[in-house]
Amino acid sequence: METIFDLSQTTSSKKSWAWEIKPESFWWKGQFLQLWSYRHLLLRLVRRDFLIHHQQTLLGPLWIVFQPVIVLIIYVLIFEKAVGLSTDGLPPSLFYLSGIILWTLFAECFTGTSFTFIQNGSLFGKVYFPRLIMPLSVMLVNFIRFGIQFLIFFVMLLVVDPRQVIDHPLRWFSAMIFSTVVVASFGLGMGLIFSILTAKYRDLVNVIHLIVRLLMFATPIIYPLSIVDPAFRLWVSLNPMCPVVEFFRFGFMGQGTFTGVQLLYSAGSTLLLVLAGSLLFNKFGNRLQDVI
Amino acid sequence: MAEPIIQVEALSKLYALGKVGTGSFRQDIKRWWLSSVLKKNDPFFSETGAADDSHIWALHDVSFDVKEGEVFGIIGSNGAGKSTLLKILSGIINPTRGIVRGRGRINSLLEIGTGFNDELSGRENIYLNGYFLGMQRREIKKKFDEIVAFSGVEQFIDTPVKRYSSGMYMRLAFAVAAHLEPDILIVDEVLAVGDADFQKKCLGKMQEVSSRQGRTILYVSHNMQSVISLCHRAMHLQKGKMIDIGTSLKVVNAYMSRHQQKRYRQSWDDINHSPGNNFIRVNFVELIPHLKNADDPVDIRTPITIRFKFWNLIEGQNICVGLHLFTQSRECIFDVSSTPQEFRKGLAEGQVDIPGNFLNDGSYYFSLIFVKDTSVELFYLEDCLSLEVEDYRENMNWFGKWSGHVRPKFPFRVRQLAHAKEAVPGS
Repeated sequence: METIFDLSQTTSSKKSWAWEIKPESFWWKGQFLQLWSYRHLLLRLVRRDFLIHHQQTLLGPLWIVFQPVIVLIIYVLIFEKAVGLSTDGLPPSLFYLSGIILWTLFAECFTGTSFTFIQNGSLFGKVYFPRLIMPLSVMLVNFIRFGIQFLIFFVMLLVVDPRQVIDHPLRWFSAMIFSTVVVASFGLGMGLIFSILTAKYRDLVNVIHLIVRLLMFATPIIYPLSIVDPAFRLWVSLNPMCPVVEFFRFGFMGQGTFTGVQLLYSAGSTLLLVLAGSLLFNKFGNRLQDVI
Repeated sequence: MAEPIIQVEALSKLYALGKVGTGSFRQDIKRWWLSSVLKKNDPFFSETGAADDSHIWALHDVSFDVKEGEVFGIIGSNGAGKSTLLKILSGIINPTRGIVRGRGRINSLLEIGTGFNDELSGRENIYLNGYFLGMQRREIKKKFDEIVAFSGVEQFIDTPVKRYSSGMYMRLAFAVAAHLEPDILIVDEVLAVGDADFQKKCLGKMQEVSSRQGRTILYVSHNMQSVISLCHRAMHLQKGKMIDIGTSLKVVNAYMSRHQQKRYRQSWDDINHSPGNNFIRVNFVELIPHLKNADDPVDIRTPITIRFKFWNLIEGQNICVGLHLFTQSRECIFDVSSTPQEFRKGLAEGQVDIPGNFLNDGSYYFSLIFVKDTSVELFYLEDCLSLEVEDYRENMNWFGKWSGHVRPKFPFRVRQLAHAKEAVPGS
């Protein structure tokens, strides 16, 4: 008798339940809405990353600077001195460095987030929090790293060609914001999609590094778009990062090959990619827990 | 009557067995084709349950309510689905079917020290762990000193936790968890780790949380004593199904008597096939626990009687029977024997009474030895009976393993001699 009474009572007070756990997973509900309340976790994770990477090391955070500088020296030696590749009439060191730091931002965002489920499998299996926090923290860390590397670039630019910076403040500033946001988001979007794929099909791990390497040649990092045969240029521009890199160089150094439509295309396709990536991530995040 | 704070309705979880990986892409495509394009029923979810032997129901049709302020225990052997249930309740995995409704903030402690990083200091880890567990910044800030004090690692709070002893590490991890303030707390076997002292601290804290702060706790444990004393109600899961629910004492007792490794009786009616030899043959051996209630488990208070019958095959043989009791690790606890006496050909019987409050909790094996003329071994019936003795404690706040193989209740008196103010030598 008592159980019958109990049931009728719960059905009548159904509205008083605050949450439900159901078999279905949602595209946007749930995790997205909780992201804000976990913002402190996000910041702690960024802090953790810096602490771990620079604790018990010889040079600490200086590595963030050394890495692009060493790559720059090699690029200048090989592509400029040995091969004699065009740099669009721009100072080679600035040309390559701008490409290197943008590319590092993309590559680190992409590879750093595409193993989210594999790397955090045991953590995800033990505690609930919006899973998106993990890839977001990776992106944030790389933004900060980029910021430090950008300072090197900026100082070099001021030494080599200060007029560019002083005469066109709006131009370089908008280029910096637009390009870095698009590049990092493109990396994040790709990473989110690949994080789901790699969790399910482990062999795709090998594909990721291949993609990064090949995509670099499809992006004007070591060459300017202007030397590409106009017949191929349209194909190369399909890569959303292509006009963005050119825009970045134009913003700081006044030389780049792009159109406004291409920039819109980059921003739009990146936005779509991030949206699709995070929706998929949200939808399949919990389901993947059964597979890992 | 308190309102239910969690309501679980027909919860089921299906898992695929076997290797995941090779061929899974083809399988996924096939499944998608069948269910989404052709609109056929998903072949992986047949109504009859796990008809397909490549899938297993980790949880099958489990329904229950947990009331506000209640401590609810979940017991069951390994693989019963306890962890799966807790993971669904924590939101880590989705159920295959069914629904969970609830109210209030839920926190789960499926392990302590989730997200701890060895390279970071204790201070950093408190924050990181706290945030992972869903604490807010002001909450951690407010309780930071309390957490550190509770863990007892004040001096090392800025040292990387990789330099901590395992005990310190665990205390710090538990300290963070202990200061969570959810409406519903889910605890999975936290007590399986750590020494007796640590376990005592954990249980004490849990008791405090539930009784003083009135929080709802869902508690999974293999430690039956702690379930009885902490939980109001309990549920027994077996192979994904709920087979018992009710007051914790009732459920635990039923669980223990179902799972005890016991052999209480062996008998051989045919003399030619009974164990023995040309001198002696055993007819039966039996262990009788003296319980108030037949369904109760045997615990440390239970008196036991061993009865046996044997055929003496040689007229006028001088026989002495010995009873050996062994622990699981094959240590002999005692060797008692009868007074030697002469027997005529035919059946004879014997009985040994073992009082209650003698054996400690654990598994025990009995062997019978038949000796002729107090020196020649006639026959040794090894491990013919076995029983499991459960723990029982009254007015006790400590649940660690009681040491020793025996646990007698000798008269033990301690009394005050003189009041300190009157006579303390040398002060």
